[in-house]
Amino acid sequence: MVEQSNLSSVRNVWSVLQMSKLWRVVIRMLKYAYNTLVYGDEPIGLGIERVARFGYDAIELVGEPTRFDVPELLRQLEARNLPVSSLVSIYTPERDLISSDEAVRRAAVDYVRDNIDFATAVGAGVVTLTPQACMKILAEAPLAEEWAWAIEGAREIAEYAGEHGVRVAVEPWNRYECYIMNRIEQSVALVDEVGLPSMGCMADTFHMAIEEEDIAAAIRQAGSRLVHVHLADSNRAAPGRGHTDFRPIVQALRDVDFDGYASFELLPAAGDVFGVLRGGKAPEFLDQYTEEAITYMKGVEADLELAKTSSADSSSTVTER
Amino acid sequence: MRPHPIGLSTFVLASPFSDADTRYFEYVKEIGFDVVEVCVEDPDLLSAETLIEAASAAGLQISVCGAFGANRDVSHEDPTKRAEGRRYLERCIDLAASVGSPHVAGPMYSATGKTRLLSKEQREFQRLWAVESLRQVADYAAERHVRLAIEPLNRFETDLVNTIEQAVDLCDRIGRNNVGLLVDTFHMNIEEKNIGEALIAAGPRVFHVQVSENDRGTPGSGHVPWDDVFDALDRIGYTGSIVIESFLPTVAEIARAVSLWRPVAASMDALARQGYAFLRAQETGGILR
Repeated sequence: MVEQSNLSSVRNVWSVLQMSKLWRVVIRMLKYAYNTLVYGDEPIGLGIERVARFGYDAIELVGEPTRFDVPELLRQLEARNLPVSSLVSIYTPERDLISSDEAVRRAAVDYVRDNIDFATAVGAGVVTLTPQACMKILAEAPLAEEWAWAIEGAREIAEYAGEHGVRVAVEPWNRYECYIMNRIEQSVALVDEVGLPSMGCMADTFHMAIEEEDIAAAIRQAGSRLVHVHLADSNRAAPGRGHTDFRPIVQALRDVDFDGYASFELLPAAGDVFGVLRGGKAPEFLDQYTEEAITYMKGVEADLELAKTSSADSSSTVTER
Repeated sequence: MRPHPIGLSTFVLASPFSDADTRYFEYVKEIGFDVVEVCVEDPDLLSAETLIEAASAAGLQISVCGAFGANRDVSHEDPTKRAEGRRYLERCIDLAASVGSPHVAGPMYSATGKTRLLSKEQREFQRLWAVESLRQVADYAAERHVRLAIEPLNRFETDLVNTIEQAVDLCDRIGRNNVGLLVDTFHMNIEEKNIGEALIAAGPRVFHVQVSENDRGTPGSGHVPWDDVFDALDRIGYTGSIVIESFLPTVAEIARAVSLWRPVAASMDALARQGYAFLRAQETGGILR
């Protein structure tokens, strides 16, 4: 953990560290990305410009390789000096790792392999995986059989990712979006059963606010398996706009030495999220939430540092492992 | 918090709940509950006489709650469907009046599970139909001294009323003083920016309260801000009952309707007993807060 500072004015030190860009070395801060899924159909150049403008460390792109002109995308990213943190995969009825139709399962594996190629091309370190179509809530086969398909497909994906130096982040979704995996403990089970270092767990605070009894405890349970994080408030808006307490969450991420990206996946309050996005009816998710989200979380991190430094007892930094 | 009658939903006991299932009422009382909330999944399976007899033998009050499937949709574009929806609500009101429930509660403005993307105009029509239907139903209920408690559901279960603010607006439009809110901590956890403030804003409109944890599990086992909830209920002077609502994951139809894919408690018995103990403990805790 971080050494206690014995300097008197923590706030001054804080601002100096932030300006000097050395702060992340001294105090291990989260790296932030913003997920462009919520930007809908706007040209990606606008999203890259926006995410760079508000001081993000990286950008998270939608895993639809065929929708991007990769050389042009790379040119725009380089112009803004903005890395790609990760790709969010989109799982549709045609890309379902536990479909009873073998061809659909095959298509899901091929799709994620294409995403891994895409990640390699743009330098993204993480591709997300949920082993079923989004919003499917009825099983097609006995759960044990579906779970076996999930493992089989995930293993093939993890092997391919390993060959390409990409990590696959297994993401549970809330009960309304999927049935095979709602909790971190279920993703831990899948990751451990696959047993390859290229596959890890993913935490999304919106889903967890519905499904987990204790979000911080679930993050600790994932522990060193945690490779990617999605942040959103309890209502899926920018942190600060709901009632999730992000302080214990950030503390848990520090405790497990999480060194990946925390990406904001913010989405409109609708059952049909994609319909809202297609209609371009989520304007607050553009400039307003892109700025608010990172500002709020940096405030949470600063509060944690202040709390730690003001409690003179250094034993307060001892963490549960 | 102040002492409130504490209740248990029949969704925890049996589904669809029928006269024969009133054999559970003694068990509900034995745990300590004051109220049993009868969910009217199929009105043909329930008779007021049997419910009254079993409830008075056990010493329980009855709360009546509706279940709103596709054929009980008072805001449907087809007027015959809307009439069918109103007819179901009238049967619930008759039952409530007979068994002494102060209200009929539930997400009665639409069929549960409709999460469509509508144009502004289509949405306004849906809202107008809900207002028109529920105003008629409210008048029917008023003649029988029954209130309507409208429940907001989270975004994945309905597209019409997700927040307390939206429910209050619907009540205002209906414009009848026997129409208010049923608030449920599970849905509020997803939709409200600040649960306590939302309850305070609703104030005397809160007619009924359902509780479960953020994952539908035992109250007290997750991260619902219970202190905020009970403080807010005290501040608005809520005197009604507080009913634990969860669902049997073993009943396929219910599991599907509420998307419950895993057990959220060791057993429904544990959920009922521990949930009851948690709620009772809040009464003394409230004095100290």
